[in-house]
Amino acid sequence: MTTSVESELSAPSRPGVVHDLGAAGIDLFLAGRELYGVFVRTLYWVVRGRRDKGATLRQMYEIGNRSLFFVSISMGFIGMIVLYQAGIEIKRVIPDFTLLGATYLELLVRDLAASLGGLMLATRVGAGIAAEIGSMVVTEQVDALRMCAADPIDFLVVPRFLASMVMTTVLVVWAGAVAFATGALTASIAFDVPVRVFCNMSLIDWGDVLTGLAKCVAYGAAIPVVSGYCGLSTFGGSEGVGWAATRAVVNSSLAIIILNAIISTASLLIFGA
Amino acid sequence: MAAGAGAAFLGIAQTVGAMAVLLVAIVRAMASVPPVLDYHELRRNLHKMAVKSLPIVVVTSLFTGVIAVIQAAPIVKRYGAEGLLGWGAGFATLREVSPLLTALMISGRVGANNTAELGTMVVTEQIDALRVLAIDPIAFLVLPRFIAIAVTLVTMTLYADALALFGAAFAGLGLLQIEPRSFYNGLTGGLLSFGDVANGLVKSVVFGLVIALSSCHFGMSTTGGAPGVGRSVNATVVASASGVFILDYLVSFLLG
Repeated sequence: MTTSVESELSAPSRPGVVHDLGAAGIDLFLAGRELYGVFVRTLYWVVRGRRDKGATLRQMYEIGNRSLFFVSISMGFIGMIVLYQAGIEIKRVIPDFTLLGATYLELLVRDLAASLGGLMLATRVGAGIAAEIGSMVVTEQVDALRMCAADPIDFLVVPRFLASMVMTTVLVVWAGAVAFATGALTASIAFDVPVRVFCNMSLIDWGDVLTGLAKCVAYGAAIPVVSGYCGLSTFGGSEGVGWAATRAVVNSSLAIIILNAIISTASLLIFGA
Repeated sequence: MAAGAGAAFLGIAQTVGAMAVLLVAIVRAMASVPPVLDYHELRRNLHKMAVKSLPIVVVTSLFTGVIAVIQAAPIVKRYGAEGLLGWGAGFATLREVSPLLTALMISGRVGANNTAELGTMVVTEQIDALRVLAIDPIAFLVLPRFIAIAVTLVTMTLYADALALFGAAFAGLGLLQIEPRSFYNGLTGGLLSFGDVANGLVKSVVFGLVIALSSCHFGMSTTGGAPGVGRSVNATVVASASGVFILDYLVSFLLG
């Protein structure tokens, strides 16, 4: 008793920078460990869980079909912006547009389609998953699931995990096609590059395709796991649900950016420049 | 099919119209004499939105710079244009990548959070309580948040510009063995000017207005308890992201 009073008295009244940094570090470590726990349990239930095809199909519709409009609009505009900005600079430095389409397609396959499409999906799908699961947590539906001996990860996260891996890949391929089409349109209108010259696949090799597909699968797995973790750790009422959705968007976007850096570096080292 | 498309179009038109009405109300509150801006609320929001977002902006922009260099590496190697890496990374980062990614991160962290906060106030009837006290919720709650989000995005974009170039310079050293000095020379060699930085900053102002407007609009029009707050947050991030991309194209085209 006396020791605790003494230690409180001797403790500094205002915690310093070291204290803040340490607290942030410990929080980060604990969150990382829990996130890892959710990921491992998701993988376990993917292998060992019950087979409920309806749930996965419903989530595929929710994640895939209902994001189609949003992803098409955003990626269409991205295609026009990227091509327009690149065209302006190429005009200023080397006025030669013959390899514009090929380079753009290579960049799209290797990185832009997966990463920008992934960020879009993290925004829409991540917020949706966290808001839905978070609402279930604050209305005690998740506790009811546990009472019925149904693991919430098996019941809620696994269908979203499987659906997201498939639909992210499908949507990214579609997003790349949309971005390439609007890019070709911009090139032919703004810079007079014929579509026939623009559609040039000579720079694409297996390394590019594999890198792009690896990114799709990694992002598709990361989004539901991160957002499911954020949703399941919701507390408090409606404010908590809002917080969970916010954290899901930020953390899944961060996960995508960090995974992108890791996969891009690995592919640069494996396949060479 | 046609009915669905029509309903979707009407829904979008309704949202855009409601945002325009909100913008008029905000501008009117801003221009009112005597000024109604609550400085305490503004300072509190600026701290919560800008200062607390610094870590995430730092991490995002450092990684973005690294990714930009990795993606430029094959092109640099193919043409042997080591001296142009600074120019390429600088051009992409300053004009597009850093305003765009900062806007996406701020829309996720600040815009969604703001919607959740306003939405919670709406569903717990705190806004009605303000109205009962004859306090205009637009002037007291929305105006400071609107200004704070716009200011946050511009300042964060400046930070992100600097940090992304820093990350790119060291990624160039680590992955392509290009000295930071030659990266810096490519950056300042005359191909880039203040116009490129200003281009990015103009964009970030526009993005800030869109994010602020959509987050305040969806927050104030929340209905239906805790699930309603979740739906509002989801709608905000989707609307902000689409708005940012559409306006990015228009602004790029207008500024040239």
